[in-house]
Amino acid sequence: MVGKDCVAIACDLRLGSQSLGVSNNFEKVFQYGHVFMGLTGLASDVLTVHENFRMKTNLYKMREEREIEPESMANLVSTSLYEKRFGPWFVGPIVAGINSKSGKPFVCAFDFIGCIDYAKDFVVSGTAADQLYGMCEGLYEPNLEPEDLFETISQALLNAADRDALSGWGAVVYVITKDKVTKRYLKSRQD
Amino acid sequence: MSTLASEYSNEVTHDVIEHRFNPYSDNGGTILGIAGEDFAVLAGDTRHTTGYSINSRYEPKVFNIGDDLLLTANGFQADGTALIKNFKNQLIQYHFNNDNKKMSIESSARLIQHLLYGKRFFPYYVHTILAGLDSEGKGSIYSFDPVGSYEREQCRAGGAAASLIMPFLDNQVNFKNQLDPETGNKKQLKYLKLEEVVELVRDAFSSATERHIHVGDGLEILIVTKEGVRTEYYPLKRD
Amino acid sequence: MSINDISYRFSHKSQLDQNNNDELPLNINNFNLNSLAPSISIPPISQPTDFLRAHTDDDINPDCNIKIAHGTTTLAFRFKEGIIVAVDSRATAGNWIASQTVKKVIEINPMLLGTMAGGAADCQYWETWLGTQCRLHELRNKERISVCAASKILSNLVYNYKGMGLSMGTMICGFTPKEGPTIYYVDSDGTRLKGDLFCVGSGQTFAYGVLDSNYKWDLTVDEALYLGKRSILAAAHRDAFSGGSINLFHVTENGWVFHGNHDVGPLFWEIKEAEGSFNNVNS
Repeated sequence: MVGKDCVAIACDLRLGSQSLGVSNNFEKVFQYGHVFMGLTGLASDVLTVHENFRMKTNLYKMREEREIEPESMANLVSTSLYEKRFGPWFVGPIVAGINSKSGKPFVCAFDFIGCIDYAKDFVVSGTAADQLYGMCEGLYEPNLEPEDLFETISQALLNAADRDALSGWGAVVYVITKDKVTKRYLKSRQD
Repeated sequence: MSTLASEYSNEVTHDVIEHRFNPYSDNGGTILGIAGEDFAVLAGDTRHTTGYSINSRYEPKVFNIGDDLLLTANGFQADGTALIKNFKNQLIQYHFNNDNKKMSIESSARLIQHLLYGKRFFPYYVHTILAGLDSEGKGSIYSFDPVGSYEREQCRAGGAAASLIMPFLDNQVNFKNQLDPETGNKKQLKYLKLEEVVELVRDAFSSATERHIHVGDGLEILIVTKEGVRTEYYPLKRD
Repeated sequence: MSINDISYRFSHKSQLDQNNNDELPLNINNFNLNSLAPSISIPPISQPTDFLRAHTDDDINPDCNIKIAHGTTTLAFRFKEGIIVAVDSRATAGNWIASQTVKKVIEINPMLLGTMAGGAADCQYWETWLGTQCRLHELRNKERISVCAASKILSNLVYNYKGMGLSMGTMICGFTPKEGPTIYYVDSDGTRLKGDLFCVGSGQTFAYGVLDSNYKWDLTVDEALYLGKRSILAAAHRDAFSGGSINLFHVTENGWVFHGNHDVGPLFWEIKEAEGSFNNVNS
């Protein structure tokens, strides 16, 4: 979710196998330099894809002698997913970050074979996507300050997860400004 | 697969053509009911669709069915109108047999359960919401599943965009996940004013219109108070 | 002839009445319950059961358009001072949480409780219907119905509909001078079992886990209520399709007593802190 010179990205903590909740400590947001990526979908693919991108972004860093920017990350994710067009990873990634040169906030989402959906306000992914669309569309306003953005994204995530049987069990929110990243755990319903 | 000989070739094969009886379709649209302290609102968009086609931009689906009750049955429109027609007929019978006594919302709800369950093995494909005032004059909303299980609630969204609207309502009407900034305790529940509710309904529908293709064109809100029923109409995006 | 009789002659007849003389593949045309039992219409095709399954069973056809609520945890157990009944309140349709405030204990009458698992409408409808049958029994026999008889009325009813797609798993709980505290488990297959302790629903295994390890016949009322609540809480926590809030009931010889609605949200943290349990969760 985009705010005024800031972005926020959040995820729930549930890992489950159908109706059975298995872990309440499964973070789906990963950091690559100053770029953040959220991954929903098949848990094993989430982890593998994350490790893959950790490798790719590290190689990028060594070759370019700088951290990857969100825009480049988006294209990297897209091409990497399309490479697996006929045996895809079952993930729904979203990317968020602030361009370290221009200072512009950036968010985008992908389908599981790499089609990029650029957005100027918010993107969502996962089993509670419908609910998140409803919440974000209702609560979001442009140019929010970091603290207000945190409140908005938290309310959106918490209330959406409470209407989805397969989401919840805790949540994490990152608020990213040009020079600071704050990570907060949210206390949520445990059912 | 059956095989026939013919004079033109040695064998002619016939694939089995499967026919399946499918009496249902989905006409999209979404509905929303909220109960206040001394009023209830029941709103619905006015778009009517099949698949990706829009059949009508103004096809009301929330009805004032008399006795200060509002009823809507969203889903497959033919089943919805059939249900409402059945209910109205039953209501006429009730008035005839009971000296024009007004039917209470509690009785209406039970009657609708019987109408829906009466087709348990050939269900009406609808999500039904009934709105009105209870015997104490408090606003009340009853919502029904397709085969008649029902419950009284403060608010309920139904139809195509229910999954978009319902969490928003939990948050804004029942203050779910909201804390009081001063005490840090759960935010106290309170009845919303009519103007606030209408604003919420309009927000909910414009949000749903933005993200759901089966919702849009117009929003019709029916409001029931002790003065009676009135209707408000607001345009929604038509794309 | 009253005006009502005349209007009845011209009023709409249900599908079942019209088809009464036709040959139906199902034996429901000689269905002969009490006249108060409603007639239920069926689709005008040769295999109505297949039709229903195709349109309502999301296991077989995930794209089916009518989703019927499933997923629940309910329990009831007998002990020294009566019966405890505890249930969650979540209704799900697929992964969508349709409601967090369902009443899954149906108050059949002031002495009898029924629980709800499976199809919400089936349980709600037939258990209120059972309430009327019990009242009729009282009027006819000048005596309260036994839990045994009441549960058998229900089980016979669902047996008549066997194979038609009814879905219910219910516990009929009551206290009569003759029988004492009694629980019958009745489900839509026609099973009817008397027992001391049952958990029913998608979260039943989780509830059994807690209940079995702490259950004793000599529990006090407070201990028993807590155990019921705690068992449902465990299921609400682990099972995605259970949750919302917990409704507690105690059945005594004077009828049932309601012991409150407890929201799982705050209750979980309360119990975690008090017991030092649920250490899998960080707060």
